[in-house]
Amino acid sequence: MTPWLPFRLAWRQLRAERARLLSAIAGVMFACVLVFMQLGFRSALFDSATALPQALDGDLFLVHPLTTALFRPESFPRVRAFQTLASPEVSVAVPIYMAQAIWRNPVNGSHRAIQLIGFDTEAGAVNFPGLPALIPALKRPDTIAFDWKSRPEFGPVAALLSERGPFKVQIANREVEIVGTVALGASFGADGNAVMSETNFRRLVSERKVGNTDLVALRLRPGADTAAVQRQLTALLPRDVRVVTHAELVAWERNYWETATPIGFIFAFGSLMGLVVGMVIVYQILFADIASHLAEYATLKAMGFSGGYLRLVVMGAAGILAGLGFVPGVLASIGLYDVVAKATLLPLRMDPNRGFLVAALIFAMCATAGLLAMRKLRDADPADMF
Amino acid sequence: MPPPVTLDGVGYAFGEGALRRPVLRSLDLTVAAGELVLLTGPSGSGKTTLLTLIGALRAMQDGSCRVLGQELRGASEVARVALRRRIGFIFQNHNLLAFLTARQNVAMSLELHPDFGDEGKRLAAADAILDQVGLSDFTHVVPAKLSGGQRQRVAVARALVARPGLILADEPTAALDRQSGHDVVHLMRDLAKKSGMPILLVTHDPRILDVADRIVSMEDGRIVA
Repeated sequence: MTPWLPFRLAWRQLRAERARLLSAIAGVMFACVLVFMQLGFRSALFDSATALPQALDGDLFLVHPLTTALFRPESFPRVRAFQTLASPEVSVAVPIYMAQAIWRNPVNGSHRAIQLIGFDTEAGAVNFPGLPALIPALKRPDTIAFDWKSRPEFGPVAALLSERGPFKVQIANREVEIVGTVALGASFGADGNAVMSETNFRRLVSERKVGNTDLVALRLRPGADTAAVQRQLTALLPRDVRVVTHAELVAWERNYWETATPIGFIFAFGSLMGLVVGMVIVYQILFADIASHLAEYATLKAMGFSGGYLRLVVMGAAGILAGLGFVPGVLASIGLYDVVAKATLLPLRMDPNRGFLVAALIFAMCATAGLLAMRKLRDADPADMF
Repeated sequence: MPPPVTLDGVGYAFGEGALRRPVLRSLDLTVAAGELVLLTGPSGSGKTTLLTLIGALRAMQDGSCRVLGQELRGASEVARVALRRRIGFIFQNHNLLAFLTARQNVAMSLELHPDFGDEGKRLAAADAILDQVGLSDFTHVVPAKLSGGQRQRVAVARALVARPGLILADEPTAALDRQSGHDVVHLMRDLAKKSGMPILLVTHDPRILDVADRIVSMEDGRIVA
């Protein structure tokens, strides 16, 4: 007996009932799209939550070991930045300062906390789109660059800028001039961002210790072995800093949002719901197919077809439904990603790994439905046929 | 060569304990090679139970039953499934798969036979036997578009196509009119006689008694004539 024969029988049986087949495919497709959207949102939210560390341009970074997320860093002595220069492989060490301050909406005067990011703008440690053109202007006293991807509650800053040019706003009870915009993006920790030079940061945040910094970006000489320098610096520096690579910094931030918040759980739960609904739909279809063909299945058993052959027919039908539902499901999801990405500015896109994961989930879902529906085959008893 | 079917003291009962209801009592029966045996008797006389035992569709309880050389007393499920492949079954209802055409239905029963390893051979054999039952114009038609007599002829073709060692039929004419029933039974007999297949046929239908080589009457689980 060749294994494709039960598979062919499954296909012929599914094909015979067009309406039933279409509703089954629609069910699988629905589950597929739902899971893709949940996983897509999850990944997009984590991506946007890690926009700040991703925009930082360094080979290695110093962070305090107690820093859980960059929106509330634990500060450490700035002198650690200069100590790293003892290594001949380190070419630049740039302290980055972060704090949250109250922003006053330039249109209606309402208050909101904004994330301030200060650093030596000429050191090339940060890679925000739009920043290079603003570097000369940001050298002037009391100037900032505003993140136009901040939440709208901060006011229509970008529109006002293009309308009347640089204008003054109030941050932390001090007047500063907005000289332009950069693109960074709101995260769970910060609704909006303002970027400025180190000196201007100190003017806005006067109460903190001058000798402390929050993060240090290191650039190595070309050709340096990052891992070796990381080991060397870790051995050299006191325990109040950790030396991490750029990837580790991003992963650290991401891990915080995955583990310390219910975000990961919510989307996993949503995906599970989609799979359960899809499973129930496929189960119903497979069950109905068996129940309405009990006499025929019993006849096949009487003719000498084994229970294994009939089980393969059911699993074959489950596999066909998974395949036929997944293909339109993945195509619909690619289209929906595009639509939703444009509407929400979230970085949603199809990723091959996620495609393989969802394909595996959908096939597992249909296989589970098949295994459950298979129990109905026991009712096909050839002794009842006569 | 031993006869295709030999029953020796076969007994069978449904239910347990106080509800135990015997349907077959110490029954002996032999079907010789190429013989057409007609089994009649009132409802509840145990004809159908006997047929399911001989067809290896049910596990034996008492006595000995040898079918095509296989002792069914204590036979495993695997052995019984293997034996069923050597028996042609014809049921009261045609039980054809509604989503397969006549030739696909017939060819399916050949999937179990190693001599018909490829689809081409199976379909050719199916077409040949459908021609013999007079359905050469209906090979590509699904059962829903055939008459009752035509469907039962497809069922006969399906049971006979693999040249089984024994044919078991249960009321094959019950759902048919006089002429169709007569045609189907004669067709069955002619095809079976040609290749020496024995037939055991259970029926109530007095219109087809003329095809039998031997008529066996049952009552209360015993053979009375």
